[in-house]
Amino acid sequence: MKNLKLASGKKGDRTIVKVSNVEIGRGFVVIAGPCSVESESQVLETAHAVKDAGADMLRGGAFKPRTSPYAFQGLGLRGLKILEKARQETGLPIVSEVVDPRDVSWVAEFADVLQIGARNMQNFSLLKEVGRAGRPVLLKRGMYSTFEEWLNCAEYVLSEGNPDVILCERGIRTFEKYTRNTLDLSAVPAIKELTHLPIIIDPTHSTGRISLIGPMSLASVAAGSDGLIIEVHHKPEEALCDAEQALTPDMFIDIMRRIRALKSFLDNPGIIEKNNSEAKK
Amino acid sequence: MKLEEIRSKTEKIDRELLVLLQERMGLALRLKKFNLTVTDPEPQVDLVARAERLNLDLIERSFTRQLLNTIIEESKRLQEEDRQLVAFQGEHGAYGEVAARGLIPAGAYIPCLEFIDVFRGVEDGQFDLGVVPVENSLEGAVTQVNDLFKTMNLKVIGEVKVTVNHCLLATEMTDYREIRLAYSHPQALAQCREFLSRNKLEPRPYYDTAGAAKMLARENPKAAAAIASALCAELYNLEIIKEGIEDGPSNSTRFLLLSREPYAGDGDKTSIIFAVSHQAGSLFGVLKLFAEANVNLTRIASMPLRTDPGNYSFFLDFEGSEKDKKITRLLEQVEAQTISMKYIGSYPADSTTV
Repeated sequence: MKNLKLASGKKGDRTIVKVSNVEIGRGFVVIAGPCSVESESQVLETAHAVKDAGADMLRGGAFKPRTSPYAFQGLGLRGLKILEKARQETGLPIVSEVVDPRDVSWVAEFADVLQIGARNMQNFSLLKEVGRAGRPVLLKRGMYSTFEEWLNCAEYVLSEGNPDVILCERGIRTFEKYTRNTLDLSAVPAIKELTHLPIIIDPTHSTGRISLIGPMSLASVAAGSDGLIIEVHHKPEEALCDAEQALTPDMFIDIMRRIRALKSFLDNPGIIEKNNSEAKK
Repeated sequence: MKLEEIRSKTEKIDRELLVLLQERMGLALRLKKFNLTVTDPEPQVDLVARAERLNLDLIERSFTRQLLNTIIEESKRLQEEDRQLVAFQGEHGAYGEVAARGLIPAGAYIPCLEFIDVFRGVEDGQFDLGVVPVENSLEGAVTQVNDLFKTMNLKVIGEVKVTVNHCLLATEMTDYREIRLAYSHPQALAQCREFLSRNKLEPRPYYDTAGAAKMLARENPKAAAAIASALCAELYNLEIIKEGIEDGPSNSTRFLLLSREPYAGDGDKTSIIFAVSHQAGSLFGVLKLFAEANVNLTRIASMPLRTDPGNYSFFLDFEGSEKDKKITRLLEQVEAQTISMKYIGSYPADSTTV
């Protein structure tokens, strides 16, 4: 791929993005939380629930890029303050989306990681701004974008002097209508061939169906993803946004248990042979 | 004007009325120190009569009379309460007031323009107590205050450490994305330098942190914010854009409580100021006395003598009370070895932080 001076991969020289005590690119990192910040109690309750379940970071949008201008647009500054409070209470670093270049320095005052949503992937003025904000950037793949276009967007951030880019596959548009998008899991190994940057999977937006989130989360682990970003809401039926795809804390606990089991097996495949031989005795 | 605007303006005016009343009540309490009360007949009648003569067509004379009488009644009630008048430097909401509230929970806190007004006011008996900052964890000694201790004859009867938690404040109508200027005391601006530069805000020096907040609320200059305490946000109806914007992680200021009379109890910390002769080992000789008596020093600071450039006076805080025989003896020895020594008080050491 041409012109990827900074994003293209060098073997054995992978980028590890440090966010407080969390390292993305080493181990498996789970980012969980509500789609959008709706109220203090909603965020705090969800934050405590996902922390107890073993999440490493908290997600939550204060600025929402919505398909309709009449849909809930987010709480803005008030939402950022709520997220800051959730970090103080739980210690979880915050991932939050930024949609307007004028908001970048302010979101950076409150959030630990700046998220660029799929719809803004090629918003180049926004990419340059987050490249200068001094915070790691979670760059989602646009729903119609090729790997090359996506990595060029990462290049925009890197070229402004910000080395900390986390890529996030969140599904692409295909002719399939049953799922919200089609999760392109091949992105994980492909991106690892093409770049040194870490990549995580969003099983929520890519499927849009609660029943598919668990299986695709496990598939992401198997594919070698560096982590997941999952929507969890303490009361999904009351969510102002994406209510149909948010997990309850109980569902999230169950998925986390399976992820840990699969991860420990993949890290140490010999365990099965050992168990089998013990069973024979 | 839109309905929203009218409502918000009404609320703002009501708030300002109350803040002004608060100032007025403070003045009523100060009146007490002149052995006058608001019920002294002459001025009161005068006040109501004069106000009635104002030609305000929306305000009936009877209403004016009723309102002022209510205010006077309340002032009278307040004067009868036994509140201590505690002076601090700055406007309401200043860190000095935060310290004063921590030291004297049910006082009447009176703002003063300068540090010297606090010292003089306490000395003259206009105030019962005063609260002044003596040192900051990032910036060191507050020289003006240390200097005043040398010339004024007041006693220290308490201390408190105040965590300085700077907030960026703006009026409700201000869009945080449009803020370009930040008004505050130069010290506060210096402590938030990195924050200001990250967000491309231009620092604008102002005489006091709370003063900047008050100005913002009253004048609402365009694209402007103030850096002050969270208490200021409450007092001046400002929105907190961001809390804890100082660059250093732990920023605190130590305040001392001033009184005309020494602390009644024993206390466990003592402060003195002394000057020594310009001879080899003279300062060492004094410090050695403390070492030999096994007395722990908690602060030592030097200040140039304004009257005698090139010479210094030393501020010493140490553990122990002047009422303790060991310390009394030690102070006698210090006095013998120095050109001058001034005892400024033994008081309870503060272990908590407000």
